[in-house]
Amino acid sequence: MPDTTTGVVVIGGGSTGAGALRDLSLRGIDAVLLEKGDLASGTTGRSHGLLHSGGRYCVNDPAAAIECVEEGRILRRIAKTTIEDTGGYFVSVSEEDLAWEPRFVEGCAKAGITCERISVEEARRREPALSQHVRTVFWIPEDGHLDPFYLVMGNVESARRRGAQVRTYTEVTGFLKTDNRVTGVLTRDAITGEETSIGCQAVINATGAWAGFVARLLDVEVKVVPVKGVMVVLSHRVAHATINRCHKPGDGDIIVPALSVAILGTTSARVPHPEVLPIEWDEVRQMIEEGALMADGVSTARAMRAYAGVRPLYDLGAEAEGREMSRNFAVIDHEERDGIAGFASIVGGKVTTYRLMAERVTDLVAQRLGVRTPSTTADVPLNDHEEEMDQLRHRPAQLGVPKPHGDELGLQPLICECELVRPQDVAPWFKDPAVRTLEDIRRRTRSGMGPCQSAICSYRLAGRLVTERGLDGATATRAMADFLETRWRGVRHVFWGSQLRQAQVTAGLHLELFNLDRQLMFQSQAPSDALLPPPLPGEGRGGGEEAHAPQVASKR
Amino acid sequence: MKADVAVVGSGLAALIATRSLQKAGRKPLLIWPGLSSLYFVYATVDVLGYSDATSHQPVERPGTAVAALIADHPDHPYARAGLDALRDGVALLMEWLEEAGFRWQGSLDHNLLLPTAIGTPKPSCLYPQSMAAGDLGRDEPIVLCGVEGYEDFVPELAASNLSRSWGRGDQSVRAIRVSLPGFEPGKMFTSIDLARSLENEAFRGEVVEQIRDKAAPHSDHVRVGVPAVLGLTHDTDVYQRFQSELGHPVFEIPTLPPSVLGLRLFDRLRKHLQETGVEIIWAAQAHAAELSDGRCRRIHLKSAGREQPIEAGAYVLALEDMVDGALRAGVHAVVDPFFHQSLAHHVVPTERTDESLFKPQPFASIGYGVTDRLQPAAGDGNPLARNVFLAGGAIAGYDPVGTKSRGGLAIATGYRAAKEAMAA
Repeated sequence: MPDTTTGVVVIGGGSTGAGALRDLSLRGIDAVLLEKGDLASGTTGRSHGLLHSGGRYCVNDPAAAIECVEEGRILRRIAKTTIEDTGGYFVSVSEEDLAWEPRFVEGCAKAGITCERISVEEARRREPALSQHVRTVFWIPEDGHLDPFYLVMGNVESARRRGAQVRTYTEVTGFLKTDNRVTGVLTRDAITGEETSIGCQAVINATGAWAGFVARLLDVEVKVVPVKGVMVVLSHRVAHATINRCHKPGDGDIIVPALSVAILGTTSARVPHPEVLPIEWDEVRQMIEEGALMADGVSTARAMRAYAGVRPLYDLGAEAEGREMSRNFAVIDHEERDGIAGFASIVGGKVTTYRLMAERVTDLVAQRLGVRTPSTTADVPLNDHEEEMDQLRHRPAQLGVPKPHGDELGLQPLICECELVRPQDVAPWFKDPAVRTLEDIRRRTRSGMGPCQSAICSYRLAGRLVTERGLDGATATRAMADFLETRWRGVRHVFWGSQLRQAQVTAGLHLELFNLDRQLMFQSQAPSDALLPPPLPGEGRGGGEEAHAPQVASKR
Repeated sequence: MKADVAVVGSGLAALIATRSLQKAGRKPLLIWPGLSSLYFVYATVDVLGYSDATSHQPVERPGTAVAALIADHPDHPYARAGLDALRDGVALLMEWLEEAGFRWQGSLDHNLLLPTAIGTPKPSCLYPQSMAAGDLGRDEPIVLCGVEGYEDFVPELAASNLSRSWGRGDQSVRAIRVSLPGFEPGKMFTSIDLARSLENEAFRGEVVEQIRDKAAPHSDHVRVGVPAVLGLTHDTDVYQRFQSELGHPVFEIPTLPPSVLGLRLFDRLRKHLQETGVEIIWAAQAHAAELSDGRCRRIHLKSAGREQPIEAGAYVLALEDMVDGALRAGVHAVVDPFFHQSLAHHVVPTERTDESLFKPQPFASIGYGVTDRLQPAAGDGNPLARNVFLAGGAIAGYDPVGTKSRGGLAIATGYRAAKEAMAA
C-alpha cells in the first residue's frame, strides 16, 4: 500500500508542470506536483523572460510562431500581472539582416503577427536607446516580458486553492507498477532523505530537459536534447521595449527589459547533461557585444550577473541541432507508444506556450481517466483570488504600479532595498512548506535579485528563518551563507567596475563586520546536530498541503 | 592650489596620515572623495584577529602577533610599514579619539572577543567603551535586545549562535524585543533614526523601562546587548545615562549599514580635523599625477564638474580600497588612476575571485608595489615618484578580510606614509 494516494502525479515544477497541475485542479482531478528542486528552478526560472509574439520563429518555425501568437493573447487575459506589455522592436544592423527582412515580413503576415515598419527616426524618438548601427526597425506590439517566477507561483497557488498539493525538493526515484500500468511513484526528500510512495491513476512527466531520466525509470526512451543558453543581467532596463535582431535566430540577439533589470541573451550549445551548464567568458562577452550592436548603454551598464539555462528540445529524429530544431512541443502517450498505461510525457516547447502544452497533456490524461470536463485554463484568470492578486499586483518595480513607499502612509520598511521587497511580501513564504532555502524566497519575491545580490537582505531573511520558521541560528546562518554563495557564483562572471566594488562591500560586511567566515568554520567543526524543523503545521499557504508535509525533523 | 602635503582619501589611513601631519606642525590638505563605502566595517579597529585567513584560533596578543607576522612575511604591508608605525599610530589614534570626545579602550596587548550581529565572537583590538561589556571573556549571562520592526539586528539569530559558541548553560544567552513609541512595524526606520531618538530623554526612559522589565526576570546579574544605536552625536553621554538608568552593564553590537558606529567615528574625526584648522577639499576625486625629475608636481581633482590641479611638496595616497577608487577595474585590466600602471591583467574576470565568497579573493591583493618607504614602485623596484607615499588598501598584498586586520593596516601604513611625506 502506498503511503498516500492521489489522482494524478505531475513530475516537474516548471511552467509546464505547474500549468498541468492547475489544469487538472480546474477539471476537478486530484493532483500532486513533485519537484526535485524548487519551483521554477530549472528551465523556466532560467529562461530569458521574453513573452514571444512569435516574430522570432515566424520564418524558420511557423507552427511554433502561430502557437506563440495565440498563447500570448491568452496569457494577456489570464496572467496579466505576470506580463509587462512592453512591445518590441526587430532591428536590422547588417546587410544580412536587411536580406532577412522580406522573409520576416512574410512570416509575420502568415502567422498573424502584427508588424509595423517604422522609420529609424521615429523609432529613436520612441526608444532613444536604439544604437547608431540600427538601419531599419519593425515595431511588434505583442512582444513583452513574462515573469517566469510569478507565472509558476501563480499557477501553483491557483491549483493549491483547488486542493492540489505541491512537494518541492522531492525527487521521483521509481514507479509503482501493476502489469503494464503505472500505479504510483516512489519519492525521496532531497534534504531529509525521507522516502515515501504515492499511489495514483496516472503520471505526467513534465520534467522538460530531465524527461529522459524520468522515463528511463520505466525503461522507456524519451529523447530530449539539452541545449544551454547563457544570459547576462544588467542592473537597469536599458530599453523600454524588448529588442530583437531581425535575422535568422542567433546568439545574443535579444534584449528583454524585465522588471528592474535587462536580460541579454542568449547562446545555444548542446550540453551532455541538463545540469552541466558552465558559463564561459566568451559567451558573456558575446552577449554584451551583440547587445551593444542593438542598444546604446549595454556596454556601459552595470552587468550584475550571468546565468545559464537549458532548453529541452525534443528530438524528432531529424538531423537538426540546437536552433535548427523546432521549438514546438509533443505529447507522448506511452500507452500507445510503449505499452505502458498511466504515463504521459510532455516535451519540447517554450515558456510562452506552457499553457497549451499543459492543456494537451492534461487532455490525454483526463480522457484516459474518463473525465470529460474540458480545459478552462484559457479562460479562468490565474489570480482569481483577491489575496493573491494583491501579492502579485504589489510588484513595485513593475511598470505602472505605484511604489509602496512614498504613499500617504509614510515610508514602508523594506527587506530588499534593491528590489523594493517589503516584509509582508516575504512573510507568508516562511510558512510555506515548499520553501526550503533562501533562494526559494528569492524566486517568490525577487529579494536578492538587485545590484547588491543579497548582501543586505540575506541577513534580514536569515533572521526571519529564526523568528518565523523557528530554525536555530546555525541552520539560519548556513542558509544565509548558501544564499550569498549561490549569488556569488553568478556575479563572479562580471566582476569589473561597480560590481567588483560591490564584491568588496559584500565581503567587508559579512566576513569582517559579522565574522561569518569564522562562524562557518565553527559550525563545520561543531557536532552536526542542526535540525531542520518541519514547517509549522496549519499555517501553510494553499489548501491540503500541510497535512502531507513531512513531519520529521531530520539531519540536513 | 598649492599645499604642503596633500592627503587623498576618506578612510582611517587618510585620517591617521592627516592627523599625524597636523600633530607634527605641518599643513596637510585633505582631499576627501566622500564617505568610504566601507565605513561600516569600522565598528571596532581590528589589528590582527587571526594569524592567517584559515586559522580559527583568535589572536590573543595582536602586537606580538603582528611582530611575528612581520618576521615571517617581509613583503607584507605590515612589514613595509613597520611595527613602530603601528605602535605610534595606535597611540596617536587613542589620544586623538580622547581629544575628539570619544571614549575608546583597548591596546595592542590584548584582543577582546566581542559578539557580532550574527552572534559570532570576533577578536577586536580597539573598541568604543560602549562595546566593552560584550567581552566574552566575562561570565555574566547576556540578554540581547532587539527592536520590533527593525530588521538590521536580529537578537534571536545572534542569541542562538552565541549560546552555541559561548553559552554557559541554558539561560546564559537570551533574546528579547522592545516596541518603541513611534517606530511601529510597518514604518520604515533605520539605525540612524533610532540613534537620534535615543538622544531624547523621555524616549530613552521608555526604552529603558521596557528592557528592565524583560531583561532580568530571573537574575539581576545580566548584561544587555543592544544594536549600536545609542546616540549619534552625543553617544558618550547617551551610553552612560542609558546604562545607569537601566542598572545593568550595556554593550552595543554593530548592525547592518547604515552603521551608527562607523558614522560616529568618521564624521567626528573629520570634523575635528576641520575644527582644528585642517583644510579639506570635499567630495573630490583625485587622479592623474604629473611627474618630472622623479617627483610628482601635481595631481588633478575632478570636482564640481571641472578639473583642478593641486600642487604639493609631498602626497599621501590613502585611498582605502577598490571601492574608494584607489584602483580602476576594467573588464581585463586593473589600472592605477594616478600613474596609469597596469597593476593586473585578467584574461577572464573570474580569475579575480575565488569560487567561494568565504575564501581569500585574488582581487583584494591587487595593488601598487611599494618601496620600503611606501613610495609607489616601478617594475625595477625604484620609486615612480620620490614624494608620493601610499597607505591603505591600494598597496599590493593588502588583504585585511580573512585576518581581520583592516584598522591596524590602515593605521600603520597611514602613519608611516605621513612620516615619510614629512621627510620628502
